[in-house]
Order: sequence, then C-alpha cells, then structure tokens
Amino acid sequence: MGWNLTGLKTLFMKEVRRFSTVWKQTVLSPLITTSLYFLVFGVALGSRLKTIDGVPYIEFVVPGLIMLSMITNAFLNTASSLFQSKINGTLLDVLIAPLGATEVVLAYVGAAMLRAFVVGGLVFLVAVAFTGFHMAHPGWALLFAVAVSASFALLGILAAMWAEKYDHLSIVPNFVLTPLTFLGGVFYSIDMLPAPWDTVSRLNPVLYMVNGLRYGLLGSSDVDVLWSAATLCALLAVLAATTWYAVHTGYNIRD
Amino acid sequence: MTASPTPRDPCPLRLDGVVKRFGDFTAVRDVTLTIDPGEIFALLGPNGAGKTTLIRCVAGLARQSVGAISVFGFDTVTEFRQTRRLLGLVPQELNFDPFFTPHQSLMIQMGLMGVTPDAAWADQLLETFALTDHRDAYTRHLSGGMKRRLLVAKALVHRPRLLFLDEPTAGVDVELRKDLWAEVRRLREQGTTIILTTHYLEEAEELADRIGVIHKGRLLLVEERDALMHSRRRPGQALLDLAAPLDQLPEGLPPGAELRRGGRQLCSPWSDPEELERTLRRVREVARIIDLQVERTRLEDIFVELIAEAEQR
Repeated sequence: MGWNLTGLKTLFMKEVRRFSTVWKQTVLSPLITTSLYFLVFGVALGSRLKTIDGVPYIEFVVPGLIMLSMITNAFLNTASSLFQSKINGTLLDVLIAPLGATEVVLAYVGAAMLRAFVVGGLVFLVAVAFTGFHMAHPGWALLFAVAVSASFALLGILAAMWAEKYDHLSIVPNFVLTPLTFLGGVFYSIDMLPAPWDTVSRLNPVLYMVNGLRYGLLGSSDVDVLWSAATLCALLAVLAATTWYAVHTGYNIRD
Repeated sequence: MTASPTPRDPCPLRLDGVVKRFGDFTAVRDVTLTIDPGEIFALLGPNGAGKTTLIRCVAGLARQSVGAISVFGFDTVTEFRQTRRLLGLVPQELNFDPFFTPHQSLMIQMGLMGVTPDAAWADQLLETFALTDHRDAYTRHLSGGMKRRLLVAKALVHRPRLLFLDEPTAGVDVELRKDLWAEVRRLREQGTTIILTTHYLEEAEELADRIGVIHKGRLLLVEERDALMHSRRRPGQALLDLAAPLDQLPEGLPPGAELRRGGRQLCSPWSDPEELERTLRRVREVARIIDLQVERTRLEDIFVELIAEAEQR
C-alpha cells in the first residue's frame, strides 16, 4: 500500500483552513507589524541614514523584513497548530490515520510555507508601495524564500513535538528566533559592525538567509550568494532529516 | 487509497506475547489474545490495568516493547497503513477541533483515513447519531453527549472492520447509552468486530459475546460471557413481600431462608429455577405474595471476585 495522497492533501487543506479561518490573527496582524517596521526604520529613521552599498536604507531593510515575516509565520504555523492539537488531543486523528512520516511532514510544512508566502508576498507588496519594484534575481529570491520557509516550518514541528507546555514553545521564538533575526543583518550590514562582532555574526544562519534574499531582490549581499545557498541547503537537509525521523519514531507524540 | 485492503487473515486481531514498558514500569505483560470475526469482545479491568495501553498499541498510538500485533493478518508496525485503514478507534477522552463543524470534522477524517470525502456519507452518519440539527455548528458548542456521538461517527467514516470503543459511554446519560448499545449491535450485525472497554459492567454483560479481564497488565481470563456467568454463578436471593406478616418460616425452605421486616418480607436463597419454584409454592400455601424480586449473580460480582483472587496471588 503506497502513500496516502488523499490524507496528505486533506491534512494540508485542514492546516490551510485553520490559518485562513483566523486570517486577522495569522495574516493581517503580521502584515501590520511589518508595515510599522517600514514606517519606523524605513521612512522615519531611514531618511537620516546613509545608503548602504549604494542602496537607500528603506530599500536595504526590505529583504530582511520579508524574511523576518516569513521565518516567524512559517515557524508559528506548524508550532502552534501541532502543539495545540497535541495538547487538546486532536492529534490523535492524524496519528491513527494511515499516514507515513513523509505525508505528515509534507502537509504541515506545505501549509506553513503557504502562510509564509502569503504574508511575505503581502509585505513585499507593501514594500513596493514604499520603495518601488525591485527584483534583481527572481530565481535566487524564490530559492531563498522556499528554503527559509521550509526550514522554519520544520523547526516549528520539532519545537511542538519537544514542548510539554506553552512556556517551552515560546522559548524558540523569544530566545532563538528574535535574537537571530535582529542580529542577522535585517536592519544593518555586518560591514558596519566592529571586530569581532562582524566575524561572530557570520555564525548566525539567519545572516545568510537575509543576504540571500537581499541578493535576489536588490542584487547586493554582505556574503557570497553561493555560500549562503549552500549553508541554507545544508540547514534545510539536516532539519528535514531530523524532523522526518522524529515524526517517524513518534518522538513525544506516540508512546 | 480509497479501497479498504483485503484481509490477509480472517482473524481481526492477534496479540502474541505483547509487552509494553514505560521505563521501569510494565503496563502490559505478555498478553496473547485472538479475537474472533464478528464478535463483541469486552476487555475489562480496573483503572490502570493496561486496557487503554493495549488498545493504543493496536491503533499505533504506542509501540509494544516486545511481541507482535496483527490486524487481519497485517503487522501493526511494518504494515501500519493497512492496519490503520482496517480499524477504527473511539478514544476515551473527548477531543474536538474548535475550528470545524461536525460535518467538516467527518469530511476531514475521511480524507485523513485515505477515503475520498463523501458529503452524503457524512450526512448519513450525522443522522445515525442524531447530529443532523448540529451539522454546521462549531463543535465547541456541542454538549458532552453530542461530542461523544461525534467521536463514534468519526471512527466509522472509513467503514472499519474492527472497531475499538474505549469507554464509549463514559459520562453519557441512560437514553444515549441505550442508543449507543443499539448502534453497536447494528454494527456487529453488519459484520464489524468490536472490542469494548468499559467501567459499566452491565454494559459488557448486555453486549459482549466474550469477556477478557486484565489486571496489572496481565490477562487473567478470556471466556464466553455465558460460560463465565454460568461457571462463576453463586446462589441468588429471592425477596418476597407478603400481604400479611408471618410468625414463622414455612416448612421445607432452603437453609438460610429468613423473615425480615417483622415477618412482612421473606428472603430465601436459590441456586436453580426448580428450587426457586418450590420456595414460591411453599410460601403461597401459607401467605399471599404481593411482590417478588429475584437477585442473581451479576458480572460485576464475578469481576470483583476475580480481581480479589488476583490480588491474593
């Protein structure tokens, strides 16, 4: 008996319906938050800052803000959905179904990526309204958007499986995602940092994600785009393998 | 994957030396059991006996530490797609997704089980379980009994051949309990094999063809219900209310017979119907009987006795 494609599609649609039912919270809210970042850092403060690598500051922050919204939404979609269903017992519906780990992971990640692309796309449209349309290398932009949203959707699954209470779940966004994204070159170039912080920043994977998308949209980057792509693909592969194994063995969700 | 897999073996469930450990604690100890096609099997045991753990192992919610489990000849670990498609589970805990209505919940569960969602079948299930009026209400607005019925309907969306009912009538009123019993019998008539766990022993006595008793993870016995009731039967009691009080017991009653309530009630033991008939005849010769209650051995008495015996071992 092969893959349960009907089950995969159903789980994907269920997850999409879950976030689209509460679209004010899942789509509109992050859009407003990111638009405020544009207003504060781009419009209000940006006019007082110089250009970075010949790019006006308001344009410079666009890729980082898109990446910030995609990372957050991809992570939160899988993490909150899976954790809530684990706590309220409805995960049982999925666990008793003839679904393999591959179908479960693809469905959850697919839905989270869709939410990340919807929010990221809307943030991009807001940016276009503020800065005009920029798409230097569409292929690279798409590659980084796909890889980043998939990676953080996978991380969300792992966090939800590991977490035993809401406190645990908030550790990742509060103590990992927020510091990494804010220190990942969203609002500044690492060339602006004094030593050794410019070197330390290179250990932050989000730096490569932000700069990868910046290269795709604006054509400029603090780090080599191939190196960024390789780093991100390696991270994605590790997260995919770990998540698949965790779901396959039922870590913390089956006895 | 719409079609249900063809059984490889007519036997709905085989457990072979199943052990389940949680660290140092052994929840299920070397359980070997075969379920017959089309039967209603009641698995009874006190709280924490291992009933739910055993069901979770079969349904794939837990993996046994030792032993093998097969559903219609398919291994629950290596051929989980087939086994999960063939069995349905009504869990003990009420769980519901607040985002969806009963109709949507059934359609989603069909899809997850690999069945092409069929709105007409979902409506039919809602009608069977008296939920049609709440078809499009959010599940969070349903009463406890309605949620319980929705869980049963969800377990049936893929027309399972083997159905687990884990405490299906917990917290359910008498009327609904009777309705569920009727539905269980109807499913059995259609060929579904049913495994039931319950704390209401009259439910098992009413429905089950065979009874298994589990205690501290060990299966104490598996027996036909009627055979078990017969083999463990103890003398019953007949309580006779009399129109006028008697001063003394009529002659020829079984040892242990006595007068109560100032001679207005006569209590007499009986071990077979002939003895009971004789008692009634003798009493009627001296008094008018205005009411009669006959108490017999209940499954509950046998269950308590079995657990007490196991504790003493």
